[in-house]
Amino acid sequence: MILVKNISKSFGDFMAVDNISFEVNEGENAVFLGTSGCGKTTLLKMINRLIEPSSGEIWIDGKNIGKGDPTALRKNIGYVLQNTGLFPHYTIAENIAVVPRLLGWDRQKLWSRTTALLEKLHLPPDKYLTAYPHELSGGQQQRVGLARALAADPPILLMDEPFGALDPITRTSVKKDFRELDELKNKTIILVTHDVQEAFELANRICLLDKGKIVQAGTPDDLLYKPADEFVRDFIGDQRFQLEVNRIGSTDYPALIEAFNHFKSRPH
Amino acid sequence: MEQEQSLWQFMNQESAKLLQQTLQHIGLTFFSLLIAVIIGLPLGIYITRNRRASGIVLGLAGVLQTIPGIALLGFMIPLLGIGAVPAITALFLYALLPIIRNTFTGINGVDPTVREAAVAMGMSNAQVLFKVELPLAFPVIMAGIRTATVINVGVGTLAAYIAAGGLGEFIFGGIALNNTNMILAGAIPAALLAIILDLLLSLVQRTGGKRRRKMIWAMPLILLLLSSFYVLPLGYNARLLAGFTPEFMGRQDGDIGLRSVYGLHIRTVVISDAVMYKAAYDKKLDVISGYSTDGRLKAYDLTVLDDDKKIFPPYYAAPVIRKETLQEYGELAPALALLAGRINDSIMTALNYKVEYLKQSPEACAREFLEKQGLYKAPRSGVKGLVRLGSKIFPEQYILINMYAMLIRGYTDLRVETKTGLGGTKICFGALVNGKIDMYPEYTGTALLAILHPSRQEIGRLGGDRDSVYAYVREQFDEKYRLQWLAPIGFNNAYALMMRRSQARELGIRSISDLTLYLKKE
Repeated sequence: MILVKNISKSFGDFMAVDNISFEVNEGENAVFLGTSGCGKTTLLKMINRLIEPSSGEIWIDGKNIGKGDPTALRKNIGYVLQNTGLFPHYTIAENIAVVPRLLGWDRQKLWSRTTALLEKLHLPPDKYLTAYPHELSGGQQQRVGLARALAADPPILLMDEPFGALDPITRTSVKKDFRELDELKNKTIILVTHDVQEAFELANRICLLDKGKIVQAGTPDDLLYKPADEFVRDFIGDQRFQLEVNRIGSTDYPALIEAFNHFKSRPH
Repeated sequence: MEQEQSLWQFMNQESAKLLQQTLQHIGLTFFSLLIAVIIGLPLGIYITRNRRASGIVLGLAGVLQTIPGIALLGFMIPLLGIGAVPAITALFLYALLPIIRNTFTGINGVDPTVREAAVAMGMSNAQVLFKVELPLAFPVIMAGIRTATVINVGVGTLAAYIAAGGLGEFIFGGIALNNTNMILAGAIPAALLAIILDLLLSLVQRTGGKRRRKMIWAMPLILLLLSSFYVLPLGYNARLLAGFTPEFMGRQDGDIGLRSVYGLHIRTVVISDAVMYKAAYDKKLDVISGYSTDGRLKAYDLTVLDDDKKIFPPYYAAPVIRKETLQEYGELAPALALLAGRINDSIMTALNYKVEYLKQSPEACAREFLEKQGLYKAPRSGVKGLVRLGSKIFPEQYILINMYAMLIRGYTDLRVETKTGLGGTKICFGALVNGKIDMYPEYTGTALLAILHPSRQEIGRLGGDRDSVYAYVREQFDEKYRLQWLAPIGFNNAYALMMRRSQARELGIRSISDLTLYLKKE
C-alpha cells in the first residue's frame, strides 16, 4: 500500500504539488489525470524519489521512504518513461537486464527472464536480444521499456505517459499487449496521463489534479456520474458520451439509447 | 629531384637520431596527454556537477590555451628549470582545455531522459557515471583527446628549446643552420605523426558497443605504453652535462668540430640559447655553447674556455646590405660607416649585459652609447625613401639595429622601418635576398659556414684569419647574391665553450683540451 501524507513540492515560488494526501491499495491501478503543469508527473516522481518533496511523507508498506536508501527503493519500483529512456549503448537484452544485474542475478536466471519477457511482448528474442534500441520502431521500444521496468518483478510500477509518444494505431496495439500481460494483474500501478479516455480505460481509481491539488479522487464512475464540481465536468467534457458508451458496453441497446437521450438533453 | 634525393640521404644518414627523436616526441606527447587525461577527465566530470565551478575552470584552461608555446616554456624555466619536467608540464597545460571541455560537453550532451531512467532503475551516482554517462560521452571525450594529441605533437617541437628533445631538434637546428633538409627531416615526421595519431584515435572514437567498453579500459594502458617511449637522451660521461644550441649541434665549427678535432665526448642535451646561460648558472648544465660577447657571460659569472686548437672561426659583425639600396640612396653608406670599428668585444659585452641583465631597453642602450660617442643626432625629416632593417632574435642584434636606425634618421632624410626578431640566419638571410628587408648585421663566421658552405680545403686555406675570412665572404656575397658587406663594427662574437667560473677553477679546466682530458680520465 502506498500512503501519501500532506505532500508538497515547490520550485522557487511555484507550487508544483500543494499539500496532497491519498492512498493506493495493493493491486490497484491508479491514474493521475490532468493537464500539463498540473503537478501529476512531479507527484509520480516523488514516489521513487527522483524528486524529493519539500514537505510531507510517503509511506510504502508501512515504511517511510524518505528515511531509507533511494537506490534500494528504486530497484523495487518499476519505472516506464514517455520517451522510453532506453540506454542507446546497450543491446535490448542488456537494457532489460539492467535492474536484475544491479541486484546481482546469475547469468542463467537473467537470460531466461529476458527471453520470457520479450516473448510475452511479441518481440522474438532471437531477432531482438542483440539489437540496439535505435534499430527498433517506437512501439517496439516502448515494449522494451515496459519489459525493463518489469524485469526484476517489482511489486509497484510507475508509468509516466507511457503511450504519449506513440501514434494512435501503435498506441492501440501496445495498450492491448499491456492489458493482456498477466504480470501486471497483481501489481500496484500508478500511471500519469492527460488523456481522459486512457485514464478511464485503465484505472480502478482516478486522481484528477489541477494546479498542484486533487480536484477529485474516486472510481471512474464517481468522476463520470458524480463530478465534484464544474472543473471535473468540463474536463470530461466532449468525451462524456464516448466514456458512458464504453462503460455500458456496446451491446446493451436500451441503456445506450437512454444515455444518448440523456447526453442530448444536457447543455454543453 | 636532386633536392628530394638529398633529403632522403640526409634522413638515411641521420636515421638513428631521427628514430630517437621520433620516439622522444611520441613519448613527450603521450606522457603529457596521460597526465592531462588523469587530471582533466575528473575535473570535467566535477564541473558537470558543479555549475559555478565550470565557468572558472573552463575560463582558466582557456586562458592557458592562449599563451604562446614559447612563452609558456619561458614561464616554466624559473619554476621547473630545463628538460623533461617543464616540457611535459607545458604540454600538459595545453592538452588540458580540450579534454576538460569535451568531457563537460559530452556528459552534458547525454539525453536527460536516459540519465533519469538510469537513476530510476536504482543506479548509484557512480554507476550512472560509469555505466551510462561516460560510455555515452565517449565519442565526444575521444574527440577532445584527439585535439589534445594533435596540439601536443605540434607544440612538442618547442620542447627542443629547453633540452627535452623531440623532433624540434632537427627543425630548429635546420632553421639556424640554413639547412632545408634538416628542417624537413624534423617537420615531415612531425606532420606525419600528427596525421597518423589523429587517424588512429578517430578509429578508436568510432568503436561502438562491447568493443567501446574494452577500449575504455585499454586506453590508459596504451597511453602508458606510448609514454614510456620517452627516454632521456643519454650520452657518454655522466660527470658533466653539456647544453648546446640546435645550431651548434649541426655546425662544422660546433659539436662536429669538437668531436673530430678535440675528441671531446660529453653527455649533451639540445637547448635554446635563450635559456642556456641561466641553466648553466643554476647548475643544470656544466658546459654550454655561448657567444663570446654575450652579456650573460658577465651576469652569470661564466668563463670562456680557451679554443687552443682554433676550431671556432672569427665572427666579426658587419652590416650586410642590398646593392640596389646602396645605389639608390648614396647617403646611406656614410651614415652606416659611422659605427665601423667603434665597438670592441668588451664594449659589446657591456652593452649586452645592460640589455640582457639590467633590463635596459635596446633602444635606450643604443641611444646612450651613441650620445657618449658624440654620434647621436635628432631625427631629420624622414621624407625620402624607406629603408627596412632586420635583426635576428637576440639582444646584440636589437641593439645594433637600433643604433643603425638612429644614425640613418639623424644623418639622412630616409625613413626607417625595423623588423626585429627574425628567427635565425636562414630567415634573416632569406628576407634580405628576397628584398623583404634591405639590411641586417651578419657575422663573418656565420656567413662562411651557414650560408656559403665552402669546401673543407677552402676553410683550411682561410685558416680562421680575420681579414681573409672577411675578404672571402665579401667577395662571395657580391658575386652570388649582389649583397654588400660594409666595414666590420669591431667586435668578434665567436662561438665559445663556457663553464661556471667556480667549477672551471675547481676542476682546473682552462681550455677545451683540458676539458677533453678531464672527461677522458674517467
